[in-house]
Amino acid sequence: MARRGGFRKYMDKRSPSTFKIQITSMVDMFVILLVFLLKSYSTSPVQITPGKDMTLPASTSIKDPTDVLKLMVSKTGIFVDDKKIVDLKEGSLDVKDVEANDTQFIRALYTELDQQATKSRDIASKNETVEFDGKVIMQADKDLPYDILRKVMYTSMMAGYSDVKIAVLSKGQ
Amino acid sequence: MKRKFSQRTEDSTFDLNLAPMLDIIVSIVPMLLLSVAFVQVTVIDTPVPQAVEKAIAKQDNKDATQILLHVSKKEGFRFTITEKGSSKDIVVPLKGTDLDLDKLHAESIALKKAYPDIFRLELNPDESIPLDNIVAVMDAIRQLRPTEGKLTFNDVESGKPVETNLIFPDIVFGNVAGG
Repeated sequence: MARRGGFRKYMDKRSPSTFKIQITSMVDMFVILLVFLLKSYSTSPVQITPGKDMTLPASTSIKDPTDVLKLMVSKTGIFVDDKKIVDLKEGSLDVKDVEANDTQFIRALYTELDQQATKSRDIASKNETVEFDGKVIMQADKDLPYDILRKVMYTSMMAGYSDVKIAVLSKGQ
Repeated sequence: MKRKFSQRTEDSTFDLNLAPMLDIIVSIVPMLLLSVAFVQVTVIDTPVPQAVEKAIAKQDNKDATQILLHVSKKEGFRFTITEKGSSKDIVVPLKGTDLDLDKLHAESIALKKAYPDIFRLELNPDESIPLDNIVAVMDAIRQLRPTEGKLTFNDVESGKPVETNLIFPDIVFGNVAGG
């Protein structure tokens, strides 16, 4: 009993169990974080994430991307909307992937793009608000030579996508 | 009944309640984290002139001035200006083994001053030129740098001089359609 009475005395002597957390420094930290996030907040309706194994070139262009077909050319392959169409070896095309009588023409890429164009034209014919304008955003690795890009642009032009937009990393002005 | 000075000083100290402010910030931060873009991707318009359209345009504009820029790792840059059937070349040589982008920029400004109404430029890079260099060339000839002031040209409709920072904003790849 004596022990229990002692504990009660000890608890009575102690300060009340409620305490205040010092949140001023936490608020300071959050405000800094908030300012940083607001600065890098993007208002662009379309977000493009560069592919895993590619580095986009940097440019001073400030034009926002639009929601159109995405074509990706990396050192390992050519992709249409994230679907691999043609294999590349260190940024070079295999001879079998290029037409013999037209060395700029990539048959597999044309077939895929033609399907996409037909699908888009079908939608446009049924829905008046949608229009097929032959726009395509091309994400390409910065080290790829113009030779391969020219072949891709030529093939996409043949499939009806003649308005090519090159995706770049914005470096501001 | 006068209040004592010591009483007044005790009352003026208080703790600002930061809890609601913290609540708001904690709600906003996850929302911003979801929509934040750490890497901003933009685009450069590079329409490919279709072979038929190109041929028609060439036929219609025989007398119109056309500016063509050839980019090569051996020669550097070569502007070819075609005007009223005749053509002349301006060469910007390499700086060592690299492309001289500063000189290209200066030359494109001089060219723009000579032909203020021309906004289209046909770009013909060599097959070995990497995309990084092509984009850098486009940046050098597209517009003036912020410290360089403005260029003037006469508006087609009103005939009044208009100021712009654009040099050759309409860049097309001329050698794609040729196959």
